[in-house]
Amino acid sequence: MGSEKTDEELMLAYAGGDLLAFEMLYRRHRGTLYRFLMRTLRHRADTDELFQDTWSRLIAARERYRPEAKFTTWLLQIAHNLIVDRFRRQRPQASEEETEAVFRKLDAPESDEPERALTEFEQRRRLQLALEDLPEEQRVAFLLRVESGLGLDEIATITGAGRETVKSRLRYALARIRARFAT
Amino acid sequence: MIGPRDPDRDIDDLLEDGGGEIGNLYRRLPRYEPPRRLDRAILGEAARAVHSGKPPRRQRWIVGVGSAAGLVLAAGIAWRIGNDAMHSPPVAPTESAPVMAPRVVPVEPITESARTRRDEPAPASSPMDSAAPAAPPPPSAVTGAVSKRAANEVDKARKSVELKAAPKPALAQEPPPPPPPEPQAARQAEAPAAFPADAKEEQAKDKAASAERETGAAADGLFRHRAQQPAAGGALPQSTPSSSVELRRDMQLAPEEWLAHIHQLIRQGRRQQAAESLRLFMRTHPDWEISDDLRELQR
Repeated sequence: MGSEKTDEELMLAYAGGDLLAFEMLYRRHRGTLYRFLMRTLRHRADTDELFQDTWSRLIAARERYRPEAKFTTWLLQIAHNLIVDRFRRQRPQASEEETEAVFRKLDAPESDEPERALTEFEQRRRLQLALEDLPEEQRVAFLLRVESGLGLDEIATITGAGRETVKSRLRYALARIRARFAT
Repeated sequence: MIGPRDPDRDIDDLLEDGGGEIGNLYRRLPRYEPPRRLDRAILGEAARAVHSGKPPRRQRWIVGVGSAAGLVLAAGIAWRIGNDAMHSPPVAPTESAPVMAPRVVPVEPITESARTRRDEPAPASSPMDSAAPAAPPPPSAVTGAVSKRAANEVDKARKSVELKAAPKPALAQEPPPPPPPEPQAARQAEAPAAFPADAKEEQAKDKAASAERETGAAADGLFRHRAQQPAAGGALPQSTPSSSVELRRDMQLAPEEWLAHIHQLIRQGRRQQAAESLRLFMRTHPDWEISDDLRELQR
């Protein structure tokens, strides 16, 4: 619909006191944000907590919002910062050795791998397991791409990494996922 | 079938609109949704943030000013009461005070002249004194430093306290059984009994004009008589009107005490007041035997 307001317009309207604008904005992004958090954190209670925290921070900072920043980027940046804080407290990053082991396995000739026709259910299950096994930075980059549809530059903005770094993380993530399907 | 592929080609596919092979598979994963309780909590928080901002400063300012105004008002009232009390020194007790004090209700008119007031015994030992906000001012003070209005306020305050606390005559002392009075006297005799009981009514009466008070049941005829009666002897204080309050006070006395009080008034040279009180006594107690010296007072 051509007359539909953009996210940025809705956010500015809410900052001006329009509660309906916030409700519309929330409906648009609640699912995407929740799934991004859920797949990143892999824990329902943590997801709920950070989901609410993200929106609370957005509400508190509504008057500081400037339309120069894309709303989705701003929202996911808030969520990402919360995720980083949570991971820093909870668990260490994946080691280099772990990553290299995955690539060594990927380098093996296709003929060495067993041919399997995986069912639809099995494919989804393996993708889910693969996502859970991804190192945090790679998983975040992958999810920002496939769940939120963001490009390299936006992912770089949100994560605070360089564009090429993001591309590299995505490449590693894809390699790990394929490795999961190869076993 | 998802299997090993060229990583560069793989990422190009991922960055396309469809997300490539893995992107398509991802979209078939279960789509988690936030629970309803989170929706309610977040929308509620957003609404609260919009509707309930910081309390406006103006409201807090009004509360502060209101408090200050209340304090100033209270201080003003306290100062006024303190000022009145300061200008109303307590009346020193005299020798005759112990006789009258226990049952005399210390209500005194402010219209009396300085000479009569100076000689009057003060009910210093009355238990009412402690409850009264201030002692009645001496006439000199009334005509001097203290304004008449201030004295009226003190007097009213004393009356209201006394009305609440004054005991009924029947409780204070058992009077001799009164003979059956004539109808008018009976009506007058009811006055002292009803007086302390119905405090509200009496307070309303006190606020009425003095003319209205003087037409009360007890003092009505007496004042009219006094106006017609010439002053007895040159020694009598000229025009020392007794208020109905004083006469009512006399009516609360036991007959013996009342007569003693009338004698005391005579000794003090307040013959006119003594005559008024005696007339009232004779109406209230028509069968009571009156001594000859008091009968002379009626002539």
